[in-house]
Amino acid sequence: MTTSDPTAQTLEQLGVKTLEAVGEKFAELRQRFDDQSSLHFSNRENWQVFLVKWTGRKSGVLSQITNNWLKMASPELKPVVGQELNKLKAHVESIIAERQRAIEAASEQSAAARDKIDLSLPGIERSFGTRHLIRQTFEELQQIFIAIGFSVVQGPEIETPYYNFEALNIPEHHPARDNMDTFYIEGVRNSHLLRTHTSPMQIRTMEKEKPPVRIVVPGKVYRRDNPDATHGYMFHQIEGLAVDTDITFCDFKGTVEYFAREFLGPKTKTRLRPSYFPFTEPSAEVDATCHVCGGKGCRVCKFSGWIELFGAGMVNPAVYGFVKYDPERLSGFAFGMGVDRLAMMKYGVTEVPLLFQNDLRFLRQFP
Amino acid sequence: MKVLYNVLTEFVDIKAAPADLASRLSLAGVAIDSVEDSAAGPVLDAEVTANRPDCLGHYGIAREVAAVYRMQLKPVQPKLKEVADNAADATRVEIESPDVCRRFTARILRGVKVQPSPDWLRERLEAMGQKSINNVVDVTNYVMFELGQPLHAYDFDKLNERRIAVRRARPGEKLCTLDGAERTLTRDMCVIADATRAIGIGGVMGGTDTEISFSSHNILLEAAWFDPIYVRRTAKALGLRTEASYRFERGADPEMAELASRRAAELIQQVAGGELLSGVVDVYPSREPEKKIQLARKEILRVMGADIPDRGVEEILSALGFHPTRVDANRGSDGSLAAVWECKQVSWRRDVTRGIDLIEEVARHYGYDKFPPRLPPAKKPAHRLPHAEAQDRLVERAIALGYHEIVEIPIADTQRDALFREEGIQPAVIGNPLAEDASIMRSSGIVSMVRAIEWNLNHGNRDLRLFEFGKRYELRDGAPVESAVLTLGATGLAREKTIYETAREFGFAELKGALDQIGELAGGLEWQAGGPPWLSAARSAHFSAKNKGEQLGVAGQLSRRLAEQLKLRQEVYLAELKLEPLYTCIEATRAALRFVPWPRYPAVERDFSLVLADGVTFAQVEQTIRALAIAEIQSIEAADLFRGGQIPAGKYSLMIRVKFQSSQGTLTDSQLAEFSSRTVTALEQKLDATLRAS
Ligand SMILES: [Zn+2]
Repeated sequence: MTTSDPTAQTLEQLGVKTLEAVGEKFAELRQRFDDQSSLHFSNRENWQVFLVKWTGRKSGVLSQITNNWLKMASPELKPVVGQELNKLKAHVESIIAERQRAIEAASEQSAAARDKIDLSLPGIERSFGTRHLIRQTFEELQQIFIAIGFSVVQGPEIETPYYNFEALNIPEHHPARDNMDTFYIEGVRNSHLLRTHTSPMQIRTMEKEKPPVRIVVPGKVYRRDNPDATHGYMFHQIEGLAVDTDITFCDFKGTVEYFAREFLGPKTKTRLRPSYFPFTEPSAEVDATCHVCGGKGCRVCKFSGWIELFGAGMVNPAVYGFVKYDPERLSGFAFGMGVDRLAMMKYGVTEVPLLFQNDLRFLRQFP
Repeated sequence: MKVLYNVLTEFVDIKAAPADLASRLSLAGVAIDSVEDSAAGPVLDAEVTANRPDCLGHYGIAREVAAVYRMQLKPVQPKLKEVADNAADATRVEIESPDVCRRFTARILRGVKVQPSPDWLRERLEAMGQKSINNVVDVTNYVMFELGQPLHAYDFDKLNERRIAVRRARPGEKLCTLDGAERTLTRDMCVIADATRAIGIGGVMGGTDTEISFSSHNILLEAAWFDPIYVRRTAKALGLRTEASYRFERGADPEMAELASRRAAELIQQVAGGELLSGVVDVYPSREPEKKIQLARKEILRVMGADIPDRGVEEILSALGFHPTRVDANRGSDGSLAAVWECKQVSWRRDVTRGIDLIEEVARHYGYDKFPPRLPPAKKPAHRLPHAEAQDRLVERAIALGYHEIVEIPIADTQRDALFREEGIQPAVIGNPLAEDASIMRSSGIVSMVRAIEWNLNHGNRDLRLFEFGKRYELRDGAPVESAVLTLGATGLAREKTIYETAREFGFAELKGALDQIGELAGGLEWQAGGPPWLSAARSAHFSAKNKGEQLGVAGQLSRRLAEQLKLRQEVYLAELKLEPLYTCIEATRAALRFVPWPRYPAVERDFSLVLADGVTFAQVEQTIRALAIAEIQSIEAADLFRGGQIPAGKYSLMIRVKFQSSQGTLTDSQLAEFSSRTVTALEQKLDATLRAS
């Protein structure tokens, strides 16, 4: 604090005796404040020093004036000094508040520019795997049938001719074997083959369990066909079987309709076309309204409005003879779905080989 | 089969347009794939199921049409002009193999003029997909397509002694068939022969020696019946599938033989002239007696779940030729629950012998759409596969660890499979493979995993983490065994470089970490060094379930030798786990899960920077500390590891982090100092470790 600082002295020491002179002193101070505030405003540190200098509680200009000018003023000047001091205080405070706001706004702005996230950049992603489309489809199909009381069972892929053919009412030399060219396993006792369908589990299950029976059988099956875009020599099936004392063709229809709605959407309609399988009678091909065009006709359904879902039918009583079920008391239905076909149809996969190449670009498309 | 609309109209008065007919037939069981135009009118492409040989002729399809529209099927009534001479005087037929040939009919025509067929016949045959040859042969083919009965015409003058014998082929007997091939016959085959030689293979194809040519004048017309299994075997053995064998092996109608012969004679006279000798030589040694089938309404209700009115039942069965008659006590009362119809078994439907067969006939023509759908209530709770829950947990883990699931065809290349086969495993080899590279049921999941990795690397996908739930196949004591395996495979980058993180190559530590995280579900893994020969000796291991001892699998880096052999130019990591024991461990671990409260007092961590000789393992460090039996030790972890720099060669620096915690109270400085000094002393004495200032 220098002696040249007028606020360190009393008015008397400064030689201020008149009201006019008081006014002049305050005007000088005000001018000084205005000059300094503009000067130091742009620099953060200087501004802090400036603030302390003017408003510091102990030695700030305003405190000094209060102590040295006002408190020491002669009784005749005191009211005026008080008034002038209040005016100056108000001015200082309002300017400081204004500048302070400006400073805060400015610093916020620069911080905002610096911290701002670029939403077009990626986040940090942990690599995550996927389930294979066929396994997703199996899962979905199983859930659909579990919900109406079908238990899931599995069986061997290397089968005997008995379970794969004979017990399913397909004796040797039956023309139905034309569509089921078979791989045989070398050197196995009693001869084994790769099952051509999941139907052997119908027999294995009925041999073991008493009715009511209600099962679905997911699994791999094999046919000795030269592979192309629509066939492989291995594909996946899910077999279904329901046998009880009161299962009828109407139950079969109801189950098929329920399935189609669950799998392809609630508006799906179904129709049954009579067909032939040695182990079902009556037999049917199940068609559903095209999930793409809803039945109006499009490329997917070859403009027929219908797509073939799977083959099915009432269990042929001849089959009961092989498992010691009473054909006069029991009845049931069975179906066998090509899971690969269903998945391809639903997800627009165009070629069978895509399913089993296991190309990462394929796998990633079905998270 | 190609079905000509115009031919159908000769047997039934169709009013419906071809497209309508096609859709009605499809919904009644004769699938029509398409309707196209031809010179002979609209052609319907029928897909005939294996049980319906009757529909391999237009007459059979016409019977279906009659049933669809509930109309009359017209009888086939050929009009013949016969001369006084008897066929029976001109030739003789003997069936020496009645087990195979149950009927043989012969008609004789004299002085026919063999020439190209008239347009109508040629056009119709071509529309049916049959090439025109000459008018006589064309008639035999035409009648086959018309009535479903295969026929054959022989040049009668070329038959030695002008007689026919149906007999087994002599061993080594040869015949040149119409397709030009010389065939060596076997005892299993049945031939049509004249006095000296075979002139045709019964039910399959005739021979060239006696075929009809433009110079033939007199002909013998055969219409016979051959046993389906015999024909199927013969055609298969000869690799010769013909229109005739196709029909016989599905079961032709023995009653149709004579009628078809008459029809063919009528047409031959019409298009080739000539005289028809009177009568037919018809050898029919074992005509089947007429049988009856009963159909009961209560069976319809039991199987179909809804009723079919009397009229529907009767109209349909009549139209199909089954001649239904009510035979129950309530007959005359319409709709009786006790109704029973007796029907004739018909010769053209060898598949209809039981009540259920008639139910199908009635139901398909009544309309499957007329049966109301019903969802049958379940009587038992349904369950998933036995280990489904454990598998769910495993799949979740694998996916969370960034592995993509694959589904492989488990048929492998024999040599490739051998590379990854466990010692002592007898593989399941396919006896009739389609190709060399798909000739064995895989004896490991690894062989398929390597294939998938190879495929991806060859198609530009470098960074892979894959898993498969599958089976491996083998023979044990001559019986097939299929065991479930989980296979993992990985290569390339474990982490790609991003703006936030650096890249990291997949290494053994990644694989071990993934397996430990999977193994956590099974209560943790215990690792031992060393693995199968297809893994790198330095980077291979096998593991078991902690405290259970059961071996769960192997893991490691594909050996350099195999990687080179398979042209895999980056490190490939593989693991295979046996699922049955793994599932059991997961289920046991899950069942034993109980909440464990954590200690109320704070834990303190102390780091020790050790310099150890190469070869001293982390496990030794851990065991040495554990051996001190300081109950307050919560965990011992490896926190940092490096070689080089200030560490002399032959040594490495390992920083371990030990966490102390007491359930009794907050640990004091003096307690901690004591633990630390005991730890350091033990490591120095037991492992020759030195402590680095850190
Ligand atoms: Zn469509």
